[in-house]
Amino acid sequence: MAPTEKTDLLQGTLDMLILKIVALGPVHGYGISQRIRQISKAVLNVQQGSLYPALHRLEKRGWLSAEWGDSENGREAKFYKLSAKGRRQLATEEASWNRLSQAVALILDAARQEA
Amino acid sequence: MSQNRTPWKSFGRRPQDPEFDREIAFHVDELTRAGIAQGLSPEEARRRAILEFGGREQIKQQIREVHTSPVLETLGFNFRAALRFLRRSPSFSAAVILTLALGIGANSAVFSAIDAVILRPLPYPNGDQLLQINQHDTRNRDANTFVAPQRLEDWNRMSSTFSGISGYYTDDLSEISGPLPEKLTMALVAPRFLDVLEVAPALGRNFTRDEFHFGGPNAVIISYHVWQRRFAGDPAILTKKLHFGDYSDSIIGVMPASFAFPNADIDLWAPSPPDAPYSQRRDATWFTVIGRMKPGVTFAQAQADMATVQARLGQQFPKPDADLTIQSVPLKETVVGDIRDSLWLLYGSVTLLLLIACSNIAALLLARTADREHEISIRFSLGASRRAIIGQLLTEVFSLALLGSLLGLGIAAAATRAFHLLANTLPRASEISLNPSIVLYSLLCAVATTLLCGLVPALRGTRRDLAQSLARSGRTQTSARNPLQWFLVAVQVTLAVTLLTGAGLLLRSLQQLSRVHPGFDPSHVLTFQISGSWGETADMGSLNRRIDSTLDAIRTTPGVLSAATSATLPGVPSLYQVEFNLDGSLDPNRKVLADNRWVSWGYFDTTSIPLLQGEACRRGGPPSDVLVNRAFASLYLGGAALGHNIGAAAYNDFSTKGQIRGVVGDAREAGLNVAPVPTVYSCFSAPTPFPNFLVRTHGDPMAHAETIRRRIHQTDPNRSVYAMMPLEQHLDEAYSGNRLRTILLALFAATAVSLASIGLYGTLNYLGRMRQREVGVRLALGAARSRILTQFLFQGLRVTLIGCIAGLALSLASGRLVAGMLYGVSPVDPETYLAVFVLILAVATGASLLPAWRAARVDPVQVLRQE
Repeated sequence: MAPTEKTDLLQGTLDMLILKIVALGPVHGYGISQRIRQISKAVLNVQQGSLYPALHRLEKRGWLSAEWGDSENGREAKFYKLSAKGRRQLATEEASWNRLSQAVALILDAARQEA
Repeated sequence: MSQNRTPWKSFGRRPQDPEFDREIAFHVDELTRAGIAQGLSPEEARRRAILEFGGREQIKQQIREVHTSPVLETLGFNFRAALRFLRRSPSFSAAVILTLALGIGANSAVFSAIDAVILRPLPYPNGDQLLQINQHDTRNRDANTFVAPQRLEDWNRMSSTFSGISGYYTDDLSEISGPLPEKLTMALVAPRFLDVLEVAPALGRNFTRDEFHFGGPNAVIISYHVWQRRFAGDPAILTKKLHFGDYSDSIIGVMPASFAFPNADIDLWAPSPPDAPYSQRRDATWFTVIGRMKPGVTFAQAQADMATVQARLGQQFPKPDADLTIQSVPLKETVVGDIRDSLWLLYGSVTLLLLIACSNIAALLLARTADREHEISIRFSLGASRRAIIGQLLTEVFSLALLGSLLGLGIAAAATRAFHLLANTLPRASEISLNPSIVLYSLLCAVATTLLCGLVPALRGTRRDLAQSLARSGRTQTSARNPLQWFLVAVQVTLAVTLLTGAGLLLRSLQQLSRVHPGFDPSHVLTFQISGSWGETADMGSLNRRIDSTLDAIRTTPGVLSAATSATLPGVPSLYQVEFNLDGSLDPNRKVLADNRWVSWGYFDTTSIPLLQGEACRRGGPPSDVLVNRAFASLYLGGAALGHNIGAAAYNDFSTKGQIRGVVGDAREAGLNVAPVPTVYSCFSAPTPFPNFLVRTHGDPMAHAETIRRRIHQTDPNRSVYAMMPLEQHLDEAYSGNRLRTILLALFAATAVSLASIGLYGTLNYLGRMRQREVGVRLALGAARSRILTQFLFQGLRVTLIGCIAGLALSLASGRLVAGMLYGVSPVDPETYLAVFVLILAVATGASLLPAWRAARVDPVQVLRQE
């Protein structure tokens, strides 16, 4: 765990990240927190304090479904799975994220050229 | 993750904390394992894991919030707080709940009647498509609205907006398979009858085409009631027959228990063949016609269509069809008709009552919120928003209203059972029930009363400046809310006065009606009918002789003074107005209109209507003997009526034609509440095969009933005698709706007045308490107690006076609403108004005295010591 500069998550992007990770296959809360760290090369800091309420919120909205099952090392864990509704939600969120980041990139490019 | 599957559905439910604890435990354990894998000691790994995971309780609380809706949470909290509040002041709560239970209960009960009788369609499929179609004489010469069988068939064939037109008439029969003849009422129906109503027999089948042909197979459908009563629900009923004198009918079907058309007295339905020889004349009319409009057809379209049809018939058959127009009425109208106004009047009254109850409770709540100023200001200072406090106060009122409306539903349920007993007075009474829409209605009442009673006190009680009252001491409050409270008392008095005036006017009408001298003497007169059949009219001579000899037999029974028959009962509302010609001429500018009544010999003796000139009907006299009453003689013949020839103006072989042989006194035959109308009496014993028999007896008429029944059975053993009751009872029943309406309204008015005086008492009492200190100081300074007493008293009376005047003005404005229900009293009757005024002032004085006296009895020493 190299002490790099960590960025707080942009509001609303945590939901998308969770959906994206769960889309890869059923996974438990611990797994999600590890994956976010791995994927983002430990740049992003996700507090358990926001991860679990977010998981429950997504589950209540019907984007995730949850089931108890055995983990890799044989322990009981709660696994989250993407629902069809969640899959659609992920697609829209990805699309709008892409639009937003392209727009931001354009603005930044324009600003660089002017400078 | 294949084994140990525990489906965990959290949707819409509170998560169970243990579930989440397990989830956390797993996470922390995994973190610990990762730590150990990195070479930490188990203890250190666990410590770091817990540290990294963070505030467990905080996360749990966040998750709980995800799973609960904040609105429900607050509502639940408010309700729990409200229930605590209600328990804290049980007598206050009980008083409010009871008042609302009465108010909402009475309101829901009357609404259930309105819903069933007026609002809901008739209990036939698409009942709103059904019309009653009457024929009407354009020149007003004939009051008959019945329709000839041939015309009915023409209408059905020629109309384009009806899916079917049918009709019925009723006939009484004596069924003789039992030990005693039993009178059954039969509806003789035109083809398509059940198809038009869209009702099928519960058992068996509808009539066939053959059964509607003259000389075709005999068939009868019986009512569910007859099936149960007469045949004990025998499942083999369709093989049975009914026996009537010299013929019998096969039972082909049983109608459902709910089917009661044209009325609940019908025992049998049988076909009336349109091709029978007696059904051919266009001036022989007997059908009441019903038709079903095609889907999508409007009432106006159906009317226009029928007008065209009748115009074409008028060209084809100038006599009599050219004189006829068609008047259609929705079938529901013919059932509901007169009762509508009464029901709306009652509904208006109970609504006023509920409003009075609401303003009463609002005043109570105002006083209460004033007492809670301290509590409310503490809550403000603890940071509660005004909305939250108003929400809390309203929830308290709503809890009261909800409990009240639940209790009120019990009252409404009891009332629906009472309505069922009124089947004689109230059409469709059996359809009144406590159904979901009534429950919904009373819940709406609870919401409405919550807003009505609760909103003003809640808004007032939470005004911002109250927050400063913390600075003041509880004792030195002065009440700034008096004007509003007095306004509420005035509103109560106003509404109570309005109700009382209405009830007073109806009571006065009833009193006037009982004082009326009807011109005939209904006491000691027994009435009944003897079964007969329309078939007998084929030989009018023998029918007449049969009835005359029955009259002879009755007259020779001991205790009988005189006996007669009549088509209609005197005083029971019925008007058969017909245009007449005098001495063969018709003056187009001066119509001779009169009520035509058919009476037998002995009628004027039996009813004690005095014979003024000439002679009365004679036994065996010709039907051309005619008498008129004094009103007719003086209006149309200048008083000298004897010897003039008179005849019905309309083309009809069956109507009156003859010579005036006598003049009798005026009597209120067409209804006790109607002044005597010009009347023509045709002397005829057998206007129908089952006329009303009227027997004047010595003493109590019912005491002679059995003797008379036996005597009739001796002379005519195959006939049944039915509907035996004193004439006075008929009159009572004819006006019982009237009386019931009046009693109910009087009851509501009494409740309203007591509620208003409780309101007055409560407000004055509260005021006395609030001003204890002021009164104490004044007494200490030497003021006289009597002065203080009168001051309080006058304060109460002043408000009453204002309310009284407003109420009387409201009564004046709404007088025409009851005008149609009054008899012999003007809607602005000064006596009634004065009586109401005096009564209200007296009651108000009574209600103000005790609180005024209590206010003046304050002990100054004690009050000053409290300072």
